[in-house]
Amino acid sequence: MAPEGVHTVKSYEQELSRLRAMMTRMGGIVESQVAQAIAAVTAQDEDAARAAPGQDPQVDALERDVEGLAIRLLALRSPMASDLREIVAALKITGDLERIGDYASSIARRSTRFDLADSRISLSGLTAMGRLVQENLRRAIDAISQQDPERALEVWQSDQGVDEYYTAMFRALVTYMMEDPRNIGPCTHLLFIAKNLERIGDHATNIAERVYYAVTGENLPAYRPRGGLASDAAETSVTR
Amino acid sequence: MSMMPKTSDPTADAQASAAETPPTALEVRDLNFYYGTNQALKNISIDYQRRRVTAMIGPSGCGKSTLLRVFNRMYDLYPGQRAEGEAIFDGVNILDRSLDLNVLRSRIGMVFQKPTPFPMSIYDNIAFGVRLHEKLSRSEMDTRVEDVLTRVALWKEVRDRLRSPAAGLSGGQQQRLCIARSIATRPEMLLLDEPTSALDPISTARIEELLDELKQEFTIVIVTHNMQQAARCADQVAFFYLGTLVEVDAADRMFTNPREKQTQDYITGRFG
Repeated sequence: MAPEGVHTVKSYEQELSRLRAMMTRMGGIVESQVAQAIAAVTAQDEDAARAAPGQDPQVDALERDVEGLAIRLLALRSPMASDLREIVAALKITGDLERIGDYASSIARRSTRFDLADSRISLSGLTAMGRLVQENLRRAIDAISQQDPERALEVWQSDQGVDEYYTAMFRALVTYMMEDPRNIGPCTHLLFIAKNLERIGDHATNIAERVYYAVTGENLPAYRPRGGLASDAAETSVTR
Repeated sequence: MSMMPKTSDPTADAQASAAETPPTALEVRDLNFYYGTNQALKNISIDYQRRRVTAMIGPSGCGKSTLLRVFNRMYDLYPGQRAEGEAIFDGVNILDRSLDLNVLRSRIGMVFQKPTPFPMSIYDNIAFGVRLHEKLSRSEMDTRVEDVLTRVALWKEVRDRLRSPAAGLSGGQQQRLCIARSIATRPEMLLLDEPTSALDPISTARIEELLDELKQEFTIVIVTHNMQQAARCADQVAFFYLGTLVEVDAADRMFTNPREKQTQDYITGRFG
Protein backbone atom coordinates (compact mmCIF):
# COMPACT_ATOMS: atom_id res chain seq x y z
CA MET A 1 0.00 0.00 0.00
CA ALA A 2 1.23 3.47 -0.78
CA PRO A 3 1.09 5.46 2.42
CA GLU A 4 -1.41 8.28 2.49
CA GLY A 5 0.08 10.05 5.48
CA VAL A 6 2.85 12.58 5.23
CA HIS A 7 6.27 12.31 6.74
CA THR A 8 6.89 13.77 10.14
CA VAL A 9 10.03 15.28 8.59
CA LYS A 10 8.73 17.76 6.01
CA SER A 11 11.94 18.09 4.00
CA TYR A 12 11.91 14.31 3.42
CA GLU A 13 8.40 14.60 2.05
CA GLN A 14 9.49 17.48 -0.18
CA GLU A 15 12.43 15.53 -1.55
CA LEU A 16 10.19 12.58 -2.38
CA SER A 17 7.77 14.94 -4.16
CA ARG A 18 10.69 16.42 -6.08
CA LEU A 19 11.80 12.94 -7.13
CA ARG A 20 8.28 12.18 -8.41
CA ALA A 21 8.13 15.51 -10.26
CA MET A 22 11.48 14.86 -11.94
CA MET A 23 10.37 11.40 -13.03
CA THR A 24 7.14 12.77 -14.47
CA ARG A 25 9.02 15.50 -16.31
CA MET A 26 11.53 13.05 -17.72
CA GLY A 27 8.64 10.81 -18.77
CA GLY A 28 6.96 13.74 -20.53
CA ILE A 29 10.06 14.60 -22.56
CA VAL A 30 10.67 10.99 -23.54
CA GLU A 31 7.02 10.65 -24.54
CA SER A 32 7.36 13.66 -26.88
CA GLN A 33 10.60 12.21 -28.32
CA VAL A 34 8.77 9.02 -29.21
CA ALA A 35 5.91 10.99 -30.78
CA GLN A 36 8.42 12.99 -32.84
CA ALA A 37 10.24 9.84 -33.91
CA ILE A 38 7.04 8.22 -35.11
CA ALA A 39 5.97 11.38 -36.96
CA ALA A 40 9.42 11.56 -38.54
CA VAL A 41 8.95 8.10 -40.02
CA THR A 42 5.24 7.93 -40.84
CA ALA A 43 4.74 11.55 -41.95
CA GLN A 44 8.33 12.07 -43.18
CA ASP A 45 8.41 15.10 -40.90
CA GLU A 46 11.98 16.46 -40.99
CA ASP A 47 11.51 18.96 -38.18
CA ALA A 48 10.38 16.15 -35.94
CA ALA A 49 13.37 14.06 -37.06
CA ARG A 50 15.69 16.81 -35.79
CA ALA A 51 13.68 17.60 -32.66
CA ALA A 52 13.80 14.12 -31.10
CA PRO A 53 17.61 13.79 -30.81
CA GLY A 54 17.72 17.45 -29.77
CA GLN A 55 16.05 16.54 -26.47
CA ASP A 56 18.60 13.86 -25.57
CA PRO A 57 20.85 16.12 -23.47
CA GLN A 58 17.87 17.20 -21.36
CA VAL A 59 16.89 13.58 -20.75
CA ASP A 60 20.46 12.65 -19.84
CA ALA A 61 20.68 15.56 -17.41
CA LEU A 62 17.39 14.56 -15.76
CA GLU A 63 18.62 10.98 -15.47
CA ARG A 64 21.69 12.21 -13.59
CA ASP A 65 19.55 14.45 -11.38
CA VAL A 66 17.17 11.63 -10.49
CA GLU A 67 20.11 9.36 -9.68
CA GLY A 68 21.71 12.05 -7.56
CA LEU A 69 18.55 12.72 -5.59
CA ALA A 70 17.80 9.00 -5.16
CA ILE A 71 21.31 8.38 -3.82
CA ARG A 72 20.96 11.36 -1.51
CA LEU A 73 17.64 10.04 -0.18
CA LEU A 74 19.13 6.59 0.37
CA ALA A 75 22.12 8.02 2.19
CA LEU A 76 20.41 10.64 4.32
CA ARG A 77 16.92 9.33 4.99
CA SER A 78 17.44 5.58 5.32
CA PRO A 79 14.11 5.00 3.58
CA MET A 80 12.00 2.03 4.55
CA ALA A 81 9.19 -0.01 3.04
CA SER A 82 7.16 1.85 0.37
CA ASP A 83 9.60 4.80 0.35
CA LEU A 84 12.52 2.46 -0.19
CA ARG A 85 10.71 0.65 -2.99
CA GLU A 86 9.75 3.91 -4.66
CA ILE A 87 13.29 5.29 -4.59
CA VAL A 88 14.89 2.10 -5.90
CA ALA A 89 12.20 1.90 -8.59
CA ALA A 90 12.96 5.52 -9.57
CA LEU A 91 16.63 4.61 -10.03
CA LYS A 92 15.70 1.82 -12.41
CA ILE A 93 12.81 3.57 -14.19
CA THR A 94 15.04 6.50 -15.01
CA GLY A 95 17.33 4.07 -16.85
CA ASP A 96 14.38 2.67 -18.80
CA LEU A 97 13.24 6.17 -19.74
CA GLU A 98 16.71 7.14 -20.89
CA ARG A 99 16.88 4.05 -23.12
CA ILE A 100 13.46 4.86 -24.59
CA GLY A 101 14.72 8.34 -25.41
CA ASP A 102 17.76 6.84 -27.14
CA TYR A 103 15.64 4.49 -29.23
CA ALA A 104 13.38 7.39 -30.21
CA SER A 105 16.38 9.47 -31.31
CA SER A 106 17.75 6.57 -33.26
CA ILE A 107 14.42 6.09 -35.06
CA ALA A 108 14.24 9.82 -35.83
CA ARG A 109 17.76 9.91 -37.25
CA ARG A 110 17.14 6.81 -39.34
CA SER A 111 13.94 8.32 -40.80
CA THR A 112 15.99 10.77 -42.88
CA ARG A 113 18.12 8.07 -44.47
CA PHE A 114 15.56 6.49 -46.79
CA ASP A 115 12.88 7.58 -49.17
CA LEU A 116 9.68 5.70 -49.85
CA ALA A 117 8.42 8.06 -52.55
CA ASP A 118 8.78 5.63 -55.47
CA SER A 119 8.05 2.40 -53.67
CA ARG A 120 4.77 0.73 -52.83
CA ILE A 121 5.87 -0.07 -49.28
CA SER A 122 3.02 0.55 -46.87
CA LEU A 123 3.62 2.12 -43.49
CA SER A 124 0.20 1.31 -42.10
CA GLY A 125 1.55 -1.51 -39.92
CA LEU A 126 4.26 0.73 -38.52
CA THR A 127 1.75 3.50 -37.88
CA ALA A 128 -0.51 1.15 -35.92
CA MET A 129 2.42 -0.27 -33.99
CA GLY A 130 3.64 3.25 -33.20
CA ARG A 131 0.20 4.21 -31.93
CA LEU A 132 0.07 1.23 -29.58
CA VAL A 133 3.62 1.80 -28.30
CA GLN A 134 2.79 5.46 -27.65
CA GLU A 135 -0.40 4.48 -25.88
CA ASN A 136 1.48 2.00 -23.67
CA LEU A 137 4.20 4.50 -22.90
CA ARG A 138 1.64 7.13 -21.97
CA ARG A 139 -0.05 4.70 -19.60
CA ALA A 140 3.30 3.69 -18.09
CA ILE A 141 4.16 7.34 -17.45
CA ASP A 142 0.71 7.98 -15.99
CA ALA A 143 1.31 4.99 -13.75
CA ILE A 144 4.51 6.67 -12.52
CA SER A 145 2.98 10.05 -11.84
CA GLN A 146 -0.22 8.70 -10.30
CA GLN A 147 1.47 5.76 -8.55
CA ASP A 148 -1.29 3.66 -10.08
CA PRO A 149 -0.77 -0.13 -10.12
CA GLU A 150 -3.93 -0.67 -12.23
CA ARG A 151 -2.46 1.45 -15.02
CA ALA A 152 0.79 -0.48 -14.73
CA LEU A 153 -1.09 -3.74 -15.05
CA GLU A 154 -2.78 -2.52 -18.26
CA VAL A 155 0.60 -1.78 -19.85
CA TRP A 156 1.96 -5.11 -18.75
CA GLN A 157 -0.99 -6.91 -20.30
CA SER A 158 -1.01 -5.09 -23.62
CA ASP A 159 2.65 -5.45 -24.59
CA GLN A 160 1.64 -8.66 -26.36
CA GLY A 161 -0.06 -6.51 -29.00
CA VAL A 162 3.22 -4.69 -29.70
CA ASP A 163 5.02 -8.00 -30.17
CA GLU A 164 2.34 -9.18 -32.57
CA TYR A 165 2.63 -6.01 -34.65
CA TYR A 166 6.38 -6.49 -34.78
CA THR A 167 6.01 -10.05 -36.05
CA ALA A 168 3.57 -8.94 -38.73
CA MET A 169 5.86 -6.05 -39.76
CA PHE A 170 8.78 -8.40 -39.97
CA ARG A 171 6.93 -10.72 -42.34
CA ALA A 172 5.68 -7.87 -44.49
CA LEU A 173 9.11 -6.23 -44.80
CA VAL A 174 10.79 -9.51 -45.71
CA THR A 175 8.15 -10.03 -48.38
CA TYR A 176 8.84 -6.54 -49.85
CA MET A 177 12.55 -7.32 -49.96
CA MET A 178 12.01 -10.65 -51.73
CA GLU A 179 9.73 -9.03 -54.27
CA ASP A 180 12.17 -6.32 -55.29
CA PRO A 181 15.84 -6.01 -54.25
CA ARG A 182 15.54 -2.21 -54.50
CA ASN A 183 13.35 -2.43 -51.38
CA ILE A 184 16.19 -3.92 -49.33
CA GLY A 185 17.65 -0.53 -48.32
CA PRO A 186 14.52 1.15 -46.99
CA CYS A 187 13.12 -2.11 -45.59
CA THR A 188 16.28 -2.72 -43.57
CA HIS A 189 15.88 0.71 -42.03
CA LEU A 190 12.22 0.01 -41.36
CA LEU A 191 13.12 -3.31 -39.74
CA PHE A 192 15.45 -1.54 -37.33
CA ILE A 193 12.79 1.06 -36.67
CA ALA A 194 10.22 -1.63 -35.92
CA LYS A 195 12.71 -3.39 -33.64
CA ASN A 196 13.41 -0.12 -31.82
CA LEU A 197 9.67 0.44 -31.35
CA GLU A 198 9.38 -3.05 -29.98
CA ARG A 199 12.23 -2.31 -27.54
CA ILE A 200 10.47 0.90 -26.46
CA GLY A 201 7.39 -1.22 -25.74
CA ASP A 202 9.53 -3.57 -23.63
CA HIS A 203 10.96 -0.71 -21.60
CA ALA A 204 7.45 0.65 -21.05
CA THR A 205 6.55 -2.79 -19.70
CA ASN A 206 9.62 -2.73 -17.44
CA ILE A 207 8.49 0.62 -16.09
CA ALA A 208 5.03 -0.80 -15.47
CA GLU A 209 6.51 -3.75 -13.57
CA ARG A 210 8.66 -1.47 -11.41
CA VAL A 211 5.78 0.88 -10.62
CA TYR A 212 3.62 -2.08 -9.70
CA TYR A 213 6.28 -3.38 -7.31
CA ALA A 214 6.98 0.04 -5.83
CA VAL A 215 3.33 0.67 -5.07
CA THR A 216 2.09 -2.77 -4.03
CA GLY A 217 5.27 -4.45 -2.79
CA GLU A 218 4.38 -7.48 -4.91
CA ASN A 219 6.07 -8.57 -8.10
CA LEU A 220 4.04 -9.21 -11.22
CA PRO A 221 4.35 -12.87 -12.26
CA ALA A 222 7.58 -13.82 -14.03
CA TYR A 223 5.55 -15.00 -17.01
CA ARG A 224 4.12 -12.19 -19.09
CA PRO A 225 1.74 -12.68 -22.03
CA ARG A 226 3.96 -12.17 -25.06
CA GLY A 227 3.74 -12.40 -28.79
CA GLY A 228 7.54 -12.70 -28.83
CA LEU A 229 7.50 -16.41 -29.50
CA ALA A 230 5.70 -15.86 -32.78
CA SER A 231 8.21 -13.22 -33.85
CA ASP A 232 11.12 -15.49 -32.94
CA ALA A 233 9.53 -18.19 -35.06
CA ALA A 234 9.11 -15.76 -37.95
CA GLU A 235 12.73 -14.67 -37.76
CA THR A 236 13.91 -18.28 -37.65
CA SER A 237 11.71 -19.47 -40.49
CA VAL A 238 12.98 -16.69 -42.77
CA THR A 239 16.65 -17.20 -42.01
CA ARG A 240 16.38 -20.88 -42.93
CA MET B 1 1.35 -13.51 10.47
CA SER B 2 4.13 -15.61 9.11
CA MET B 3 7.47 -16.07 10.81
CA MET B 4 9.27 -16.99 7.64
CA PRO B 5 10.88 -14.69 5.11
CA LYS B 6 8.62 -14.24 2.17
CA THR B 7 9.87 -14.66 -1.35
CA SER B 8 7.92 -14.44 -4.53
CA ASP B 9 8.60 -18.07 -5.32
CA PRO B 10 6.13 -20.29 -3.46
CA THR B 11 8.25 -23.44 -3.82
CA ALA B 12 11.29 -21.68 -2.36
CA ASP B 13 9.03 -20.62 0.47
CA ALA B 14 7.94 -24.15 1.19
CA GLN B 15 11.50 -25.44 1.12
CA ALA B 16 12.69 -22.67 3.35
CA SER B 17 10.02 -23.32 5.93
CA ALA B 18 10.74 -27.05 5.90
CA ALA B 19 14.50 -26.72 6.20
CA GLU B 20 15.04 -23.60 8.25
CA THR B 21 12.25 -23.06 10.74
CA PRO B 22 14.16 -23.01 14.00
CA PRO B 23 12.48 -24.46 17.06
CA THR B 24 10.75 -22.02 19.33
CA ALA B 25 12.68 -20.97 22.42
CA LEU B 26 9.89 -18.97 24.02
CA GLU B 27 6.24 -19.18 23.19
CA VAL B 28 3.97 -16.38 24.37
CA ARG B 29 0.22 -16.98 24.31
CA ASP B 30 -2.54 -14.50 25.12
CA LEU B 31 -0.40 -12.48 27.44
CA ASN B 32 -1.96 -9.54 29.24
CA PHE B 33 -0.13 -7.19 31.53
CA TYR B 34 -1.40 -4.61 33.96
CA TYR B 35 0.18 -1.70 35.81
CA GLY B 36 -2.50 -1.51 38.48
CA THR B 37 -5.69 -0.99 36.52
CA ASN B 38 -3.90 0.17 33.40
CA GLN B 39 -3.57 -2.60 30.84
CA ALA B 40 -0.18 -2.25 29.13
CA LEU B 41 -0.21 -5.42 27.01
CA LYS B 42 -3.25 -6.87 25.29
CA ASN B 43 -3.46 -10.50 24.19
CA ILE B 44 0.10 -10.81 22.98
CA SER B 45 0.95 -14.06 21.19
CA ILE B 46 4.38 -14.43 19.65
CA ASP B 47 7.07 -17.07 19.18
CA TYR B 48 10.75 -16.34 19.77
CA GLN B 49 12.90 -18.61 17.68
CA ARG B 50 15.91 -20.36 19.13
CA ARG B 51 19.27 -18.79 18.24
CA ARG B 52 17.66 -15.99 16.33
CA VAL B 53 17.51 -12.28 17.04
CA THR B 54 14.05 -10.86 17.48
CA ALA B 55 13.78 -7.08 17.55
CA MET B 56 10.79 -5.39 19.16
CA ILE B 57 10.03 -1.95 17.79
CA GLY B 58 7.30 0.61 18.35
CA PRO B 59 6.74 4.10 19.69
CA SER B 60 7.36 4.89 23.36
CA GLY B 61 4.73 3.39 25.61
CA CYS B 62 3.74 0.68 23.14
CA GLY B 63 4.56 -2.10 25.61
CA LYS B 64 7.73 -3.52 24.10
CA SER B 65 9.89 -2.97 27.18
CA THR B 66 7.07 -4.18 29.42
CA LEU B 67 6.99 -7.43 27.48
CA LEU B 68 10.76 -7.80 27.77
CA ARG B 69 10.51 -7.31 31.52
CA VAL B 70 7.86 -10.02 31.78
CA PHE B 71 10.33 -12.58 30.48
CA ASN B 72 12.54 -12.47 33.53
CA ARG B 73 9.75 -11.54 35.93
CA MET B 74 11.11 -8.08 36.70
CA TYR B 75 7.59 -6.96 37.50
CA ASP B 76 7.62 -9.15 40.60
CA LEU B 77 9.66 -6.41 42.26
CA TYR B 78 6.76 -3.99 42.03
CA PRO B 79 3.42 -4.43 43.79
CA GLY B 80 0.37 -3.80 41.64
CA GLN B 81 1.96 -5.11 38.47
CA ARG B 82 0.65 -8.43 37.18
CA ALA B 83 0.76 -10.59 34.10
CA GLU B 84 -1.79 -13.11 32.82
CA GLY B 85 -1.51 -15.69 30.12
CA GLU B 86 1.36 -17.94 29.16
CA ALA B 87 5.02 -17.54 28.30
CA ILE B 88 6.32 -21.07 27.82
CA PHE B 89 10.08 -21.36 28.14
CA ASP B 90 11.53 -24.88 28.04
CA GLY B 91 8.13 -26.37 28.86
CA VAL B 92 7.54 -24.14 31.87
CA ASN B 93 5.26 -21.13 32.15
CA ILE B 94 7.48 -18.21 33.17
CA LEU B 95 4.48 -16.55 34.80
CA ASP B 96 4.01 -19.48 37.19
CA ARG B 97 4.24 -18.07 40.72
CA SER B 98 6.03 -21.12 42.07
CA LEU B 99 8.95 -20.63 39.68
CA ASP B 100 12.41 -20.10 41.22
CA LEU B 101 13.25 -16.63 39.98
CA ASN B 102 16.97 -16.97 40.57
CA VAL B 103 17.10 -19.97 38.28
CA LEU B 104 14.89 -18.21 35.73
CA ARG B 105 17.10 -15.13 35.71
CA SER B 106 20.25 -17.20 35.32
CA ARG B 107 18.70 -18.79 32.24
CA ILE B 108 17.28 -15.57 30.81
CA GLY B 109 19.81 -12.76 31.10
CA MET B 110 19.02 -9.09 30.77
CA VAL B 111 21.00 -6.04 29.68
CA PHE B 112 19.65 -2.55 30.20
CA GLN B 113 19.71 0.73 28.34
CA LYS B 114 22.32 2.34 30.61
CA PRO B 115 25.31 0.17 31.46
CA THR B 116 24.83 -1.10 35.00
CA PRO B 117 28.16 -2.47 36.24
CA PHE B 118 28.25 -3.44 39.91
CA PRO B 119 30.44 -1.19 42.08
CA MET B 120 33.23 -3.74 42.14
CA SER B 121 36.15 -4.88 40.02
CA ILE B 122 35.84 -5.97 36.41
CA TYR B 123 36.63 -9.53 37.44
CA ASP B 124 34.08 -9.59 40.27
CA ASN B 125 31.36 -8.13 38.06
CA ILE B 126 31.47 -11.39 36.16
CA ALA B 127 32.33 -13.77 39.00
CA PHE B 128 29.54 -12.43 41.24
CA GLY B 129 26.64 -13.92 39.30
CA VAL B 130 28.48 -17.15 38.54
CA ARG B 131 29.18 -17.78 42.24
CA LEU B 132 25.44 -17.68 42.98
CA HIS B 133 24.78 -20.61 40.70
CA GLU B 134 27.97 -22.62 40.39
CA LYS B 135 30.87 -23.64 42.61
CA LEU B 136 33.96 -23.09 40.51
CA SER B 137 37.58 -23.41 41.53
CA ARG B 138 39.79 -20.35 41.28
CA SER B 139 41.28 -21.44 37.98
CA GLU B 140 37.89 -22.46 36.58
CA MET B 141 36.56 -19.04 37.46
CA ASP B 142 39.59 -17.37 35.83
CA THR B 143 38.90 -19.36 32.69
CA ARG B 144 35.22 -18.42 32.74
CA VAL B 145 36.01 -14.72 33.14
CA GLU B 146 38.55 -14.79 30.33
CA ASP B 147 36.18 -16.78 28.14
CA VAL B 148 33.23 -14.40 28.43
CA LEU B 149 35.38 -11.28 28.18
CA THR B 150 36.91 -12.68 25.00
CA ARG B 151 33.45 -13.44 23.63
CA VAL B 152 32.38 -9.82 24.07
CA ALA B 153 35.70 -8.63 22.58
CA LEU B 154 36.73 -6.93 25.81
CA TRP B 155 39.50 -9.25 26.96
CA LYS B 156 42.36 -7.54 25.16
CA GLU B 157 41.25 -4.17 26.49
CA VAL B 158 40.94 -5.16 30.15
CA ARG B 159 43.17 -8.17 30.82
CA ASP B 160 45.77 -6.01 32.56
CA ARG B 161 43.30 -4.35 34.86
CA LEU B 162 40.84 -7.05 35.87
CA ARG B 163 41.05 -5.92 39.50
CA SER B 164 40.30 -2.28 38.71
CA PRO B 165 36.82 -0.93 39.31
CA ALA B 166 34.41 -1.51 36.42
CA ALA B 167 33.26 2.09 36.75
CA GLY B 168 36.56 3.14 35.16
CA LEU B 169 35.60 1.64 31.81
CA SER B 170 34.07 3.67 28.99
CA GLY B 171 30.32 3.44 28.38
CA GLY B 172 30.73 1.03 25.48
CA GLN B 173 33.12 -1.13 27.48
CA GLN B 174 30.77 -1.11 30.45
CA GLN B 175 27.90 -2.26 28.24
CA ARG B 176 30.01 -5.08 26.84
CA LEU B 177 30.97 -5.99 30.41
CA CYS B 178 27.27 -6.16 31.28
CA ILE B 179 26.67 -8.46 28.34
CA ALA B 180 29.65 -10.58 29.46
CA ARG B 181 28.14 -10.70 32.94
CA SER B 182 24.79 -11.85 31.50
CA ILE B 183 26.30 -14.66 29.48
CA ALA B 184 28.68 -15.78 32.25
CA THR B 185 25.90 -17.76 33.91
CA ARG B 186 25.38 -19.52 30.57
CA PRO B 187 21.80 -18.50 29.95
CA GLU B 188 19.76 -19.68 26.98
CA MET B 189 18.21 -16.36 26.28
CA LEU B 190 19.43 -12.76 26.34
CA LEU B 191 17.09 -9.81 26.71
CA LEU B 192 18.47 -6.42 25.69
CA ASP B 193 16.54 -3.25 26.40
CA GLU B 194 17.90 -0.55 24.08
CA PRO B 195 21.45 -1.71 24.76
CA THR B 196 23.12 0.88 22.51
CA SER B 197 21.00 3.98 22.99
CA ALA B 198 23.60 5.51 25.31
CA LEU B 199 26.60 4.54 23.15
CA ASP B 200 28.57 6.19 20.37
CA PRO B 201 28.42 4.72 16.82
CA ILE B 202 31.65 2.70 17.14
CA SER B 203 30.61 1.12 20.43
CA THR B 204 27.18 0.50 18.89
CA ALA B 205 28.74 -1.26 15.94
CA ARG B 206 30.78 -3.43 18.34
CA ILE B 207 27.65 -4.45 20.24
CA GLU B 208 25.83 -5.22 16.99
CA GLU B 209 28.76 -7.31 15.81
CA LEU B 210 28.63 -9.06 19.18
CA LEU B 211 24.92 -9.86 18.75
CA ASP B 212 25.76 -11.58 15.48
CA GLU B 213 28.31 -13.73 17.32
CA LEU B 214 26.11 -14.41 20.30
CA LYS B 215 23.15 -15.61 18.30
CA GLN B 216 25.13 -18.71 17.37
CA GLU B 217 24.44 -19.76 20.92
CA PHE B 218 21.70 -17.65 22.47
CA THR B 219 18.18 -16.65 21.67
CA ILE B 220 18.23 -12.88 21.65
CA VAL B 221 15.41 -10.42 22.13
CA ILE B 222 16.28 -6.78 21.64
CA VAL B 223 14.13 -3.71 22.20
CA THR B 224 15.30 -0.81 20.08
CA HIS B 225 14.13 2.58 18.91
CA ASN B 226 16.68 2.47 16.13
CA MET B 227 14.99 1.09 13.05
CA GLN B 228 18.23 0.61 11.18
CA GLN B 229 19.58 -1.34 14.11
CA ALA B 230 16.56 -3.63 14.03
CA ALA B 231 17.03 -4.03 10.27
CA ARG B 232 20.73 -4.80 10.67
CA CYS B 233 20.62 -7.15 13.62
CA ALA B 234 17.31 -8.92 13.68
CA ASP B 235 16.09 -12.02 11.91
CA GLN B 236 12.56 -11.36 13.06
CA VAL B 237 10.92 -8.05 13.89
CA ALA B 238 7.80 -7.41 15.95
CA PHE B 239 5.96 -4.09 15.83
CA PHE B 240 3.95 -3.05 18.88
CA TYR B 241 1.48 -0.22 19.16
CA LEU B 242 -0.66 0.79 22.14
CA GLY B 243 -0.06 -2.50 23.91
CA THR B 244 -0.92 -4.74 20.98
CA LEU B 245 1.32 -6.72 18.68
CA VAL B 246 0.49 -5.27 15.26
CA GLU B 247 2.74 -7.39 13.10
CA VAL B 248 5.61 -9.85 13.35
CA ASP B 249 7.59 -11.02 10.36
CA ALA B 250 11.05 -11.65 8.96
CA ALA B 251 13.15 -8.46 9.06
CA ASP B 252 13.58 -8.20 5.30
CA ARG B 253 9.86 -8.49 4.69
CA MET B 254 9.06 -6.09 7.50
CA PHE B 255 11.30 -3.31 6.20
CA THR B 256 10.58 -3.70 2.50
CA ASN B 257 6.92 -4.61 2.44
CA PRO B 258 5.08 -4.72 5.77
CA ARG B 259 1.53 -6.04 5.72
CA GLU B 260 -0.11 -3.57 8.07
CA LYS B 261 -0.62 0.12 7.39
CA GLN B 262 0.30 1.04 10.97
CA THR B 263 3.65 -0.69 10.58
CA GLN B 264 4.23 1.00 7.24
CA ASP B 265 3.46 4.42 8.73
CA TYR B 266 5.72 3.84 11.69
CA ILE B 267 8.79 2.55 9.88
CA THR B 268 8.61 5.14 7.11
CA GLY B 269 8.33 7.95 9.65
CA ARG B 270 4.73 8.94 8.97
CA PHE B 271 3.39 8.38 12.44
CA GLY B 272 1.16 11.12 13.31
